Amino acid sequence: MSAPEPTHPLAAHAAPGRHGAAGEAPLRVTLPPRDIVQVMARRGRADALAEAARASFGLDLPHAGHAATGKDATAIWIQPGHWLLTAPRGVEGALAARAAAAFAGLAAVADQSHGRITIAIAGPAAHSVLARGCRLDLHPRAFGPGRAAATQIAHVGCLIHQTDAAPVFELTVFATLAEPFFHWLMEAGAGAGVLIE
Amino acid sequence: MSQPHRRQAGGHIDRARRLAFTFDGRRFEGHPGDTLASALLANGVRLVGRSFKYHRPRGIFSAGVEEPNALVELREGARREPNTRATVVELFDGLVAGSQNRRGSLAFDWMAAAGLLAPWLGAGFYYKTFMWPAAWWERVYEPMIRRAAGLGHASGMPDPDRYEAAHAHCDVLVVGAGPAGLAAARAAGATGARVILADQDVLLGGDLLNEPGLEAWRHETLSAIAGMPEVTVMPRTTVFGFYDQGVLGAVERVADHVPEPPPHTPRQRAWTIRAREVVLATGAHERLIAFPGNDRPGVMLAGAARGYARRHGVRAGESAVLFATHDGAYDAAFAMAEAGARIVAIVDPRQDSAAMQRAREAGFDIRTGSEVCGTVGLTALRGVSVRGVGAAGRGDAFAADLLMVSGGWNPAVHLASMSGAPLAWDEALLAFVPGAPVQRERSAGACRGVHGIGAAAADGAAAGHAAAEAAGFVAMPAFPLPDAPAADCRPCELWEVKGRGKAFVDLQDDVTAADIRLAHREGFSHIEHAKRYTTHAMGTDQGKTGGIVGAAVLAEARGEPVSRVGLPRFRPYAAPIAWGAMAGEGVGKHFQPTRRTALHGVHEALGAAWLDAGIWKRPAYYPRPADADAWASVLREARAVRERVGICDVSTLGKIMVEGPDAATFLDRVYANTFSTLPIGRARYGLMLRDDGIVFDDGTTSRIGPESWFVTTTTAQAGPVMQHLEFHLASAWPDLDVSLASVTDQWAAIAIAGPRAREVVAAVVQGLDLSNEAFPFMAVADCTAAGVPARLFRISFSGELAYEIAMPAGYATHVWQAAMEAGATHGIEPYGMEALGLLRIEKGHVAGPELNGQTTAQDLGLGRMLKKKGDFIGRVLAQRPGLTDPSRPRLVGLRSVDPARQIRVGSHLVLPGGDGRSQGWITSVTRSVVEPGWIGLGMLREGEARIGSEVLAANPLMGEEVPVRVVSAHMHDPENIRVRA
Repeated sequence: MSAPEPTHPLAAHAAPGRHGAAGEAPLRVTLPPRDIVQVMARRGRADALAEAARASFGLDLPHAGHAATGKDATAIWIQPGHWLLTAPRGVEGALAARAAAAFAGLAAVADQSHGRITIAIAGPAAHSVLARGCRLDLHPRAFGPGRAAATQIAHVGCLIHQTDAAPVFELTVFATLAEPFFHWLMEAGAGAGVLIE
Repeated sequence: MSQPHRRQAGGHIDRARRLAFTFDGRRFEGHPGDTLASALLANGVRLVGRSFKYHRPRGIFSAGVEEPNALVELREGARREPNTRATVVELFDGLVAGSQNRRGSLAFDWMAAAGLLAPWLGAGFYYKTFMWPAAWWERVYEPMIRRAAGLGHASGMPDPDRYEAAHAHCDVLVVGAGPAGLAAARAAGATGARVILADQDVLLGGDLLNEPGLEAWRHETLSAIAGMPEVTVMPRTTVFGFYDQGVLGAVERVADHVPEPPPHTPRQRAWTIRAREVVLATGAHERLIAFPGNDRPGVMLAGAARGYARRHGVRAGESAVLFATHDGAYDAAFAMAEAGARIVAIVDPRQDSAAMQRAREAGFDIRTGSEVCGTVGLTALRGVSVRGVGAAGRGDAFAADLLMVSGGWNPAVHLASMSGAPLAWDEALLAFVPGAPVQRERSAGACRGVHGIGAAAADGAAAGHAAAEAAGFVAMPAFPLPDAPAADCRPCELWEVKGRGKAFVDLQDDVTAADIRLAHREGFSHIEHAKRYTTHAMGTDQGKTGGIVGAAVLAEARGEPVSRVGLPRFRPYAAPIAWGAMAGEGVGKHFQPTRRTALHGVHEALGAAWLDAGIWKRPAYYPRPADADAWASVLREARAVRERVGICDVSTLGKIMVEGPDAATFLDRVYANTFSTLPIGRARYGLMLRDDGIVFDDGTTSRIGPESWFVTTTTAQAGPVMQHLEFHLASAWPDLDVSLASVTDQWAAIAIAGPRAREVVAAVVQGLDLSNEAFPFMAVADCTAAGVPARLFRISFSGELAYEIAMPAGYATHVWQAAMEAGATHGIEPYGMEALGLLRIEKGHVAGPELNGQTTAQDLGLGRMLKKKGDFIGRVLAQRPGLTDPSRPRLVGLRSVDPARQIRVGSHLVLPGGDGRSQGWITSVTRSVVEPGWIGLGMLREGEARIGSEVLAANPLMGEEVPVRVVSAHMHDPENIRVRA
């Protein structure tokens, strides 16, 4: 028996199409399938871990408040010595296995591909929609592409990663809280209109 | 005939368009640019409300948020909104408004008889009178007082509109868009700083809106500001609070000026603004003077009459008297004369001044050295009495329908005061102004006593520059400021004109100067005490016009200067706001998020009845048409587990990955029992204590590899346990090389329990020998389940042969369905939380009701788990005598002697024929399927010794005493034969 496609927590909630007001510049929403692995540095092995990340993923593990993208994966700083390593969805468990092999003895690795989901929002309305629930200053002078921050939006822990100045933000939230978060996003975006792609 | 008091031209009024509205059922017309108050005045409506306590007739007193009288109900049905100030309500077509606090018509209010009782209704009347009998307070007195005194009525229906929250950040926040605020925003904006300019009005300009000659400067400034990309202008936005660290609260009235918000538009938006620097340009509120009859409809603040004439093109009266103590108020007389009103007299306690000279030259009748000592009229002003300052008698009568009053200006220091800045007394202005800033704020213009448009604008520009520089921006060249001469706003000291009749210091709360003196006589001499005793400055206007006047009356009574008496502490909200805006979207089920397991859709399809477990939604049971009631469903599900096999979603349990060379050492310290000896591929039940020795949490923890562990927690304590572990790792043992990751959301988990569980699991799981020898009780192994990666645990909460399959959450539905298919021939049934609870009570497993933060391991019969060697969290304090006292209540099982008699959680256990003292209590109850009847778990003194005896489960709330037999907590399969089968 081959593994089936996993069920997305928002499968029943994110029907493609227009929602809210019929504005000309709606908030564009996508649910990019991602593999997500939590990487936790062992005590005193930060330098070796950074070297291993460069060698295996072609990226420099970022400092607080930042993300770094390598040849096929992105690392987002989440707490001292902890990163989320993300990549487009591949074979079940493969990214975690690759990270575990690359970081053996240097970091603990926890697969979170099913525990977190990523919602990408884009378009000129993105800033004002996020401001409806996000306390952080995401103005271009204070934030921008390559920046990341963990915060709470609508009572749900949310990791914000800006990937493009356009702007595009990737919002990573807990899978079991994805539905109330998505409901908030739809409400917040209703004024500008939302296009789920 | 409409709008008889409207001027033909002038002001910010669009006379080409007409807006129809009703007030108390009468139809009127106004224009865009009107407030409800200006439109009422244009139509000659003078009487707009009845006062709070005495039901005295009241008219429009001001033209802004400081309005004490003109509180109205807006709209109808579910959108009805009480206590709205007509002076700040933007008129819209179709507006329905009504007066408040009256019985019968507004003109003839039956409750006005309260005025006849006035001598007995002074401050503290209710406290003194409605004391006895005490029981009458809630049932009789309070409802009666609430009916008689009060404000408007809420609709009582759910609010159909949406409210939003929003966050904003800026380098410089400018509060108020009068001359000072506009100049500050422009100066700061020109540096490139991110600026927010907020004003509660729809039109920006403040006093500039009353000066047609400065309209060009206002326009030029607004267009300059509009051209600055980093300046955000927020009209209709009231900044109501200044909190710590540059956080300010504001409410934007997005759709209050239309009958209903358009689709996808909130009615109001609550902003949290985080500002690096703040410029407060909040202006000033004009001060009333306390004289007898100063509340008659037709008595109005001078600046308000001026504003209605100039901004709204409305004459608030046709024959006007001005009573002023400073030159700054004289422009009101000129404005009214321009508007076509007759100026009957100007009454001024001073002997001479520059403004008096000009007024005299203009032909006005000036009564120097005089004061207004009374008013004439019933529901509208007909005349005023004027006498020499301090003279006796009733004075000379002047016929007038408008009395314009100004006792000076009260700087709007509310936000500065909330920011922590002390207030300083300005002897020249007889007013409190902001003192040295505590936070990064500065005041500019009239709110710090700088009066006159030109002076205020210059002050604002300087403040804007300074704020931008303080935020790290370089000041830019100056820009033109308005050239306007300033009138002298320094008043002569006249707070009160003493005479017969009520002289109000607080119109909204019906507080008179005499009430303040009474408060002082009765010992409430501190301004904060006097405020609460008299309700002075406690209305929606918060004493903006008369707060300082009350303080001055108190100061005179105390024989001290006003500067010593001070003002009550300012607190949010600086102006009233709708509570809906504070709630935002957090209403109903959105008050908190709902957490769903990966199997939520499965439960929904099965028609589950839901149970709220914290923020989780869990299935309580799965009703079927044949089930007579909920108990029938629960017992059916539990029986399936005992007799065949059941399946249950246990995904909500907390799951923590613990990994690292020191993981075993770490677990030995955080658990009261030993884990380092656990072999790979085995699970062990673990008990965690708090530092104080009380049981914290329990769960099974498995060793996955030499350095890799899988910890589970209870659903309720998942977060606290993770915090507890992270805290100790970071603070107590930073030397331990251990990594923690919460994997609660990554893994879904399904329990399959019952005598036929092995057959079902064997059909789902590949790659494992499930024989008792190869995979015994407490075995753990990675495997494949229905083709997906999974982890199998042989653990049991039900007391039956049981397994838990954990799998990446996205596959949970797939595995559940595979198990249901595999179990179909075995009669598998899904079971919910109620059956889960039933099964664990029969088995004697403790859960939340027993792990209640008061019980020790010994109390729960788990004392032998505490390891003898090595330290662990809670070890020391668990040895305190109070916790090791052998007489503490111990966990026991309980069985109702009459199986049909219900027992209840919370009932106390007492001895039959004893002294009635509680010997313990019931923690959990259910109905047994093994031996039908009510059973429970409880905590009982000398519990073990009493096994076999009978006690009473007493529930005085229900009037019950139910005989119960004390039994072992392990009521089902105490030898664990079934779980090891």
